This record gives sequence, C-alpha cells and structure tokens, in this order.
Amino acid sequence: MSRTHLIRLTVNRVPRQVEVTPRHMLLDLLRDDLGLTGTKACCLVGECGACTVSLDGRIVNSCLVLAVEADGAEVTTIEGLATDGHLTRLQQAFLDEGAVQCGYCTPGQVMAARDLLAHNPHPTTAEIREGLAGNLCRCSCYAQIIAAVSAAAAEEEK
Amino acid sequence: MQSFGYEHPEWLGQAVDLLRTHRPHARPLAGGTDLVNRLRDGTLRPHVVVDLKGIAELRPGITQADGRLWISATTVLADLVADERMRTHFPALVTAAGVVGPVQIRNRATLAGNICNASPAADTAPPLLVYRAQVIARGPAGTRSIPIDAFFLGPGKTTLARDELVTAIELPVRDRPVQAAFGRLTRRRGADLATVSVCVSVDGTGSTRIGYGAVGPRPLLATDDSGVLADPATDPATRTSLLARLARATSPVSDVRASQEYRRSMLLVLSQRVLRAAVIGEGEG
Amino acid sequence: MNGPVGTSAERVDGPARVSGGYRYLGDIRLPDVLHAKLVTLDCARARIRSIDASAARRVPGVVQVLTAADLPQPVPRFGPQFRDRPVLAVAETKYHGEPVAAVAAETLAAAEDAARLIRVEYEELPAVCTIAAALAQGAPLVQDPALRLGDPLANTNVLQEHRYAWGDTETAASDLIVAGTYTFPMVTHFAIERHGCIAARDGDGITIWSTIQHPFWLQRTIAELLSLPLAKVRVVAPDPGGGFGGKQHAKYEPLVAFMAMRAGRPVRLILTLEETFQAVRRTSAQVRVRTGFRADGAITFREVDADYLLGAYADIADRLVSKGSYVSCGPYRIPAARIVARSILSHTLPSTAFRGFGAPQPLWASESNMDEAARALGIDPVELRLRNLARRGEQFIPGDTPADGAWEQTVRKAAELVGWGTPVPAGRGRGIAVGIKPGPTTGLSYATVRLLADGSVVMSSGTSDMGQGARTVYVQIAAEELGVPMDRITLLMGDTAVVCYDQQTSASRSTVLMGNAITYACREVQAQLRTMAARHCQVDESAIEVARGVVRLPDRQIPIGEFVRLGLGRLGGEVIGIGESRKEHVPGHPLSGSPVFFEFNCTAVDAEVDAETGDILLVRHVTVSDVGKAINPMQVRGQDEGAAIQGLGHTLMEQYILDESGRISNLGALDYRIPTSMDLPLQLCSDVVENADGPGPYGAKGMSEGALLCVAPAVAAAVTDATGAVIRDLPLTAERVWRALSTPAADSSPTATATAAADEQRRCADGT
Repeated sequence: MSRTHLIRLTVNRVPRQVEVTPRHMLLDLLRDDLGLTGTKACCLVGECGACTVSLDGRIVNSCLVLAVEADGAEVTTIEGLATDGHLTRLQQAFLDEGAVQCGYCTPGQVMAARDLLAHNPHPTTAEIREGLAGNLCRCSCYAQIIAAVSAAAAEEEK
Repeated sequence: MQSFGYEHPEWLGQAVDLLRTHRPHARPLAGGTDLVNRLRDGTLRPHVVVDLKGIAELRPGITQADGRLWISATTVLADLVADERMRTHFPALVTAAGVVGPVQIRNRATLAGNICNASPAADTAPPLLVYRAQVIARGPAGTRSIPIDAFFLGPGKTTLARDELVTAIELPVRDRPVQAAFGRLTRRRGADLATVSVCVSVDGTGSTRIGYGAVGPRPLLATDDSGVLADPATDPATRTSLLARLARATSPVSDVRASQEYRRSMLLVLSQRVLRAAVIGEGEG
Repeated sequence: MNGPVGTSAERVDGPARVSGGYRYLGDIRLPDVLHAKLVTLDCARARIRSIDASAARRVPGVVQVLTAADLPQPVPRFGPQFRDRPVLAVAETKYHGEPVAAVAAETLAAAEDAARLIRVEYEELPAVCTIAAALAQGAPLVQDPALRLGDPLANTNVLQEHRYAWGDTETAASDLIVAGTYTFPMVTHFAIERHGCIAARDGDGITIWSTIQHPFWLQRTIAELLSLPLAKVRVVAPDPGGGFGGKQHAKYEPLVAFMAMRAGRPVRLILTLEETFQAVRRTSAQVRVRTGFRADGAITFREVDADYLLGAYADIADRLVSKGSYVSCGPYRIPAARIVARSILSHTLPSTAFRGFGAPQPLWASESNMDEAARALGIDPVELRLRNLARRGEQFIPGDTPADGAWEQTVRKAAELVGWGTPVPAGRGRGIAVGIKPGPTTGLSYATVRLLADGSVVMSSGTSDMGQGARTVYVQIAAEELGVPMDRITLLMGDTAVVCYDQQTSASRSTVLMGNAITYACREVQAQLRTMAARHCQVDESAIEVARGVVRLPDRQIPIGEFVRLGLGRLGGEVIGIGESRKEHVPGHPLSGSPVFFEFNCTAVDAEVDAETGDILLVRHVTVSDVGKAINPMQVRGQDEGAAIQGLGHTLMEQYILDESGRISNLGALDYRIPTSMDLPLQLCSDVVENADGPGPYGAKGMSEGALLCVAPAVAAAVTDATGAVIRDLPLTAERVWRALSTPAADSSPTATATAAADEQRRCADGT
C-alpha cells in the first residue's frame, strides 16, 4: 500500500534523486536523506517557520509538504544562499544587527526575509512584521531581525 | 504518522475513481496544511492520499466567465489575495484569506481546502457565505453545484460524499461590487485561529448579509432585508438589538481560545464594527 | 580601551548560524544509531496495571522496548535537588506526559509505529493540579513518603517551606496597609530547538550528546546512575538552540543512557515540541502581599506568602522558590519583613528554572501591590519607588550583599524614556515597575587560554552559549587582554572531555564568573610573558609591564602577538594560562551563599486598551537595566529586548490550560500562543546604566534576565491607569481584561482573600 516512490528534484541547483515513502516529509528528505541540516525542525504543524524553504520560488513549511509532492520541484534551502562562503547581504545584515541569538530559527527567518525582499524590495516595518509572522523566535530578537531586513533592503538600494 | 499510499492522478476522472475505489479510506490532498497535521496526529488515517495538484482540469487559476469568478481547487490563498479581480469584487474574502496563517501557509493552503476541512473557525467561510459562493463538486454521478450555505454541516463535516471532490469555488460577480468587510478577534496579533470572525455585506437594495465564524458547529449566515442595518442613519440602539437578534442563531461554545460568554459578547462588538466598516466602505473591520 | 571590549562585535560563529552550518544536537548523525520514541498515557495520573509490548516488538526494525521492569531495581532516581525522579514511571504516572516505556528502532517511523502498538492497561487516578487541591485535607500525596524519610512534611504535598524575616512586622505603625493575592500561570520555555539527546557506549564508558545547559552536572548525574567514574562519562553539548533555563538539568538523558548501554548501539531521542512542553515549564504561583506604608509613602513592613506549584518531581524548582522569594520584598528599604514561600508538589509536569528563576512570580505581586499603594496614597508611582529604593551600599536584605548599583538612575532613565509626567491620550495608560533578581550565590569556573607560537589563541570554557552570546564576550575579553584580533582566537566549548569544569550556565553568571576566569587565565599568560620578557631582554621583571595586548619594556613596547614568537624561541610551543573563578558557599546563609551581584531593571510601558474587547496594544515599551559595563552593547540590547518580549508572553497570552482531570488541553504550537513579530510593541526602547560597578571583567554585571522580571506588573499598571480595572491574575488576555471591565466593581477581585484585603485596606485607611 505504501510503496516507495522515486522522486527527482533540484535542491540548491543540484539535481537529486531519492526514494521515499509517502509519509516522508520534504523536511526529512532535506535533513536526513540529503544531509542538509541547515533547515530546522521544531513544531511540525506549520506554526513556527523553522523549516522554511523555497519550493518552486515560494516559501513553504517543509514539515507540511510530503516529499513525494516535491517530485520535479526546485528547492532552495539556507545552504543554497551563500556562494563560495560569501554571505549574502541579508545574511550579513542579520549578523550586523545582532539578529542572531541562539540561531536556531535563523535559517527559517533568513529564508522568509529573502522571499519578502524578492517580492517587495522596499518593505515598510509593518510589512516586514507581517512577512515574518510565520517565523517564531523565542529569543525574541524580532526588533533586530526587522532591523536586519530593513538594512538589507536599504543596502540593496545603494 | 501511520503509513499510507500516495496517488497522483493526471485527470479528474481518475481522481474520482480512486476516491470511489478506496472509499471511505481515501483523502484528497491539495495544499496539505491541514491534512498533514491530521495525518501526523492520527485523527485521519487514510489508506490512500490522492494528490490533486497534477490534475489537468484543476490547474491553479482564477477565471472569469458568465458573470462568475471560478477559483480552481488547487488555487492557493496567496494567489487569491494577489488577484486584482478578487480584490475588486470580493475584498472581504481577500482580507480573510490574507489572515489565514502566515505567508508560508498561504503559499500552500487552498480556498477549497479551507472550506473542505469545515472548521467552524475557517476564516474564508464567512465571506464565502456573504458573497453567495457555490461549491462545484465532482463525483461518480457527475458534477453538482452546492450553495455554500448548504455545504457546511458541522465540525469537519460537509455535504460532500466520500467519493466527491471539490473542483472549484464559484463567486457571482456583480456590476457594482457589494460593500463588505471582514473582521476577527484572535489571541495575538500574529497568525492565529479566530476566536470570533464576522463578515458583513450591504448591498444597494438594503439587504445585509452577515457571516459568522467560530461561534457554532459550522460557519453561519444571517440576513436582514429590512434595510435597517444598511441605513447609516439607523439609531444605535435599534441596530444593536437587531444585530443581537440575528446573532441568536449562533451557538458559541467554550474552548481553549475563549469562553462562550466572551464569544457571545464579542460577536456583537465585532458585528457592529464590521457592519460599520461595510456601510462606510472601509473594506475591513 | 582600544580593544574590542565595549564594542558591538559580530557574533562569534555567526556566519555558520546564518548559513545553516552550525551543528545543533539534532544535526549530529552517528552511524548505526537507533531512534527512540516515548510511550505516554493521555491522562494526568494513572496506576499502571500492565504493559504489553508484544505487538510493538514485532514491528520490523524494532530493536528494544524498555519498561521500568527492564531497568535496575529499584528503578534508579535522579534530580538536581532531590533524587525523586525515576528513569521511567514506576507503577504510577504522576503527570500528563510521563513516559511509561520507550522504543528504539532502526528508523524513527518504526519506533513511532511500535510505540503506538504498546498496550498499557491503566486505571486513571484522581490528580491534584492546583495549589488548593494539593493542600486540601486528604489530598492524594504526589510523592511517596518513603522517598522523603525524616522529612516532617513527608505526609503532605508541601515539599519545603522557606522563611525569611527581619524586623517586627506586627508592631510596625502604618497609615495604610495594602494587600492582595496574585496568580502567575504555568508557562513553558518553548525554545525553538526541542530537547534531545544521544547516548552511545564508548569503550568502557559512555558518551552523551545533549541539548543540556549544564554539561558537567549531567556528567555527574550519569556517572552516579551508571556507577561510572566521571572520567568515563563524556558529555558533548553543542550550543543549545535556546535554553532559558529549561535545559539546565537532565530529563531523558538517563533513560537514553540506559537504552544505549543495553542496546550496545547509539540511541537518539529528539522530543517532539508537544513532548518538550510536557518536559519543562515555569513554576506557577499564588502570592499574597501585604505592605504597610506611612502617609509619605515610606514602607513600614511587608509580608509575602508565596505558594509555588511544582510538578510531580522537584527538578531544580525548590531552589528557585527559595531564591526567587528571597528578593520578594523588592529592592526597597524595608524595616520589617516576613516572607514565607512554599514548594508544593502536584500531578503536573515538573516545573524548572526559567529566565528569572522564581523572581517574576513574587515581583508580579509585590510591584502590582506598589502600584495599588501609589494610587491609594495619591503618590506618583515613580516617586513612591524612588522614596523606598535602596541606595548603593544599603543592606536592603539585612546581613547580605548591599545594593550594588545606583538603582535610582535606572528608574529615572526609564521614566524619562517613557515620558513619565507627560499626558497620556484617552484610552491609553502608563505603568512602571522595577525588577530585581539575585545573581549566582556560588560558582566555580575554570578557563584555559593558550597563546600559540604565532600569536593566535585557543581558549576553552565550559559555558553553554544558548544565545546569550557568551562566545562573543569571551573572545572579546581575551582579544582585549592579549591584543589578539578576535578572528585569530578559537574558543572551544561544550565537551567535558575537552574543556575544564564549569559549575553551570545559569543565573546570568557567565560574563561575570567565567568572564573573570578567562581574564585570570589571560593575566596568567601575561605574567608568564613578563618572566619570558625579562629573560629574553635581560631586563628586571619589575621594569616590565604586560597588559592589554602589549609587552611594555623600559625602552620600547612590543605587541604580545609579536613578542611570543621571540619569547618561545626555536622550539615554539605555547604559553598556557589557567583561570579559576570561585564563589564559595557561605555556611548558614539562607541561600548557602550571598549573591555575587543583583540584576536590576526598570520597565515602563504605554498601553492602549480596547474597552469593548479587552485587547491590549503595547504602544511603547521601555526597558532599562543596570549592567555595570556592556562588554558588547549590541548583545546587551538584544538580551534586554528579547527578555522584554519574552516577558510579554506570560503577561499577555501564554498559559497552559488544564482540563478538570489535569490533562493539558492546549498542548502544542497551535494553541499555546507566544509573541510573534506582529506582537512587538509599536515602540520598543532599551537602554542601560553603566557605572562599571559590577564584579565581572571591566565592571560588568550579569544581565539578560532583568528585562523580563517586571514586564507583567508594568503592563498591568498601564491597564489600570487606562481603565481603572485592577487585575491580579495573569495572563492579561483580552477576555480577562474584558471581564474586569464588564464587572461593575472591577476593583474587587475574584477571590475572597482579595475582597477581605480590600476591606482591610479601607479599614486601615480609616485609621483603625
């Protein structure tokens, strides 16, 4: 009944092929099968945003996506942002503004912020708050995260 | 999570066949934002999950024809919120869809899924009631169109048969968009389930429609054709007592989000606020 | 200072954390690992009749099913204060979520499938889940009196009673007495990283990987349980993804250790968020405060009766009851005081340390009491506090560490930042409160600093950096002392086999105690360099100074990094410094030791209250802390602002909701709400007072809990200011505020005690 499925997808520009059971989540596929542990697991009900990845250009909670649903998809994870060890402006802004405390929610925050800036390069503070509302930070450095997103947006403008 | 099979049909007919073959142990999957949680917590244990996203006839999209907007079953809320026609004709639905979860959820969750779960608190339900939506369903016997008010039966229960699928939601487009507003109360400002939600529309004939969410076993519709509510000159006491009378149809309960008493009171507060917003055309309560 | 101390240096290890490279516990992959799943019952308390694991054992991939019967008998118990917690429930489960068995399998899916197939026959028993129920006549005893031999309270649910008193509260002459009873809810830490651990047999010992905050304490616990020498127990503790106190002490590490030893293979247990919620919570409380005032506002006496509701096992909660209640009279000059705090056991999940360590609960009561008094006396709340605030050097708790800061500066700064004295628009209110918390009372930290031949540095510390930023602060200190650029320093942490002993990471101690150890280690390196320089340059040692990165000779100065090459000579090698920082316990002291410092904070808010719905909107939130010296101002700001928002959680929305039988009804992220980015106050403003008067490096004090301490009373005061309603229960949900507003005599609070208090207050105000 629950046979395995061979799926093909592109993760961080690299084509991958993985055999999965239907109850295997995209989150598990990334972390366990591909070893991309930058994407974090927490609530597993789509509330905290720690597992945020980009799926075909849109951010999703990878804990709510069956791996089989990602067959043929293009996935970008936190590991896919920096190139040759050079952080993106947004990632650097997180460090410059003190937006990383324990850092556990950070990959999800960065993915959500990146998506926000892609759709809205010059967001207002209210728009940043709304855009990141799906990413919980219990260290609660929201003010710093918002500042980082603003700074990255301003930098982009220069 | 218990194991299950996964089917990914290409045609609508195949999907219906799968549902019929496995009934009642098959579950359709659109966005999965609710289904996956229920698979994980064990409240649903289907043998087969039928993914609708590869079905040619259900491709995501909002199309306008014959005076109606047709929202396919796999259209995600993020696309609905961004659609100009939706924003023009159904702003209260756009407001409601825009508060379903955060971006990550709206990128995945569908309008059809939101109503098929039949949560009493589904944010999009009150506006769909107010806007006279029709649910288009396909089953072994063919296609039928169900008025949204007849669609909801109770928590998690709809009129859909186990081998029926929602293929689209249809909304009648008017020449002049009806004035409407949506508002809700939540426990925090960030993404949350509604404690109480209300949608109100007021049309040119003086007819007022009120959709209530989270205050009964299913989303409810109340109507007032007296013109009293639609008239900005109505004195507040009359308006309040009429709103209170309409709200008698609701039957709020106490749960972890709020007590019955609070819900009852907030229903009135919110109804007044949203009505005001609808009458003066603010769009949002 | 020209070095990095006092600058907002970027987080050490930051790039790995923004690019997904940092390896937290859950990211560790061991070959041959088994995945564990707990088996729990869906009720608060039950007698276990039988456990049938036969179906579970048949699931392909299942390697082990462990029940209490498979453990050494009697089942080993552990706990940081009392050895009261069994590795698995014995005969009876005592809280909703206590495991009765565990499964280990080749895959997590198999372990989960098998766990579902374990049939437990049980009888649900009546549970005591509130203070009243636990104290009621004939209440079932949570703990077996046999576990509490020699304890006079063994036949009650009171675990301990702590009493502090000075002066004579009976004879104090007061013009006004204000009294009230306040409640503080059960809330949970909700670190985004869930709790987890991995255990593996390692030669003739064991290695445990854990999200633990106190690796050395865990090492001791495991060594005792497995009868192994400390040297055979290695604890690897990657930086926790948030701790806030919840990860201080062992929870399931002992269970997983037994499973791994039995299986002969590594076993890994990562709790779900729901299981994490059933593993840690803050200690809830009911606190009655009664304070006497003279007409001019001077406090004449204060009485505090604080009942804290612990869970079924003590964990470290009784310690936080004693320590948190110790400062429950506040930072005030009070001639007479009587404090009685009780630790009460219940059939709820074990409560433990949580940012503030028992202080926010009584502060909620005592600072709200100050606000009620200010209104009754007609004295401005800021004035009332300034009038009573202990000034530097005053022993506000007789015989103990005196006030160690110019606390009035903190209050004045917060008042100024919030615009105290300026008008507040209609519908809004303004409130202020102060918070105090004792720092660590004992401590022992070692640090090593190794200056290598090329002038780079490898240092080690046993602190856990769970987001408070210890890594960065330590590297800043060493860089400052040795004149080495921060990026040429490697700091090792989180492995008991590699780093030297550190007692624990708690009580905001690390900048002070470990910071001092690192400073001493650097100074030792400097001293060796001085000897080396004397030898090398043929100069008398007394003519050489080594400090802040340079070797200062009579005729020239050489940067340390450059000098060490010369000094070490052809063989190279390294200069090794070891620092030890010790705070001894004090025999006879009620806390076994005097606080090394106090954390002091003042919080002021402007809040808008929706009169129809009860919704509170934080318009402005000001938080000011006395930090002595901000080694890293950006991190200090982040800690204070983060603590402030975390405090808004228990103030406005967070609480466990238990049903009548004691089950948690809102288990999990969907119905346990914490603040999001949209719940930030419209304006959040933090500032610090820096007088370099702390006991840590460069005059630093510990910080990072302070800004959470008095959020609740400040917000509640603003709500009262806006609406007139006095609310004595948290959280201030919209419904609760609405209820207070819609009850005609909003002031008369729900409990009879408080009504009696109001009567008492009127009587006293009349001069009787």
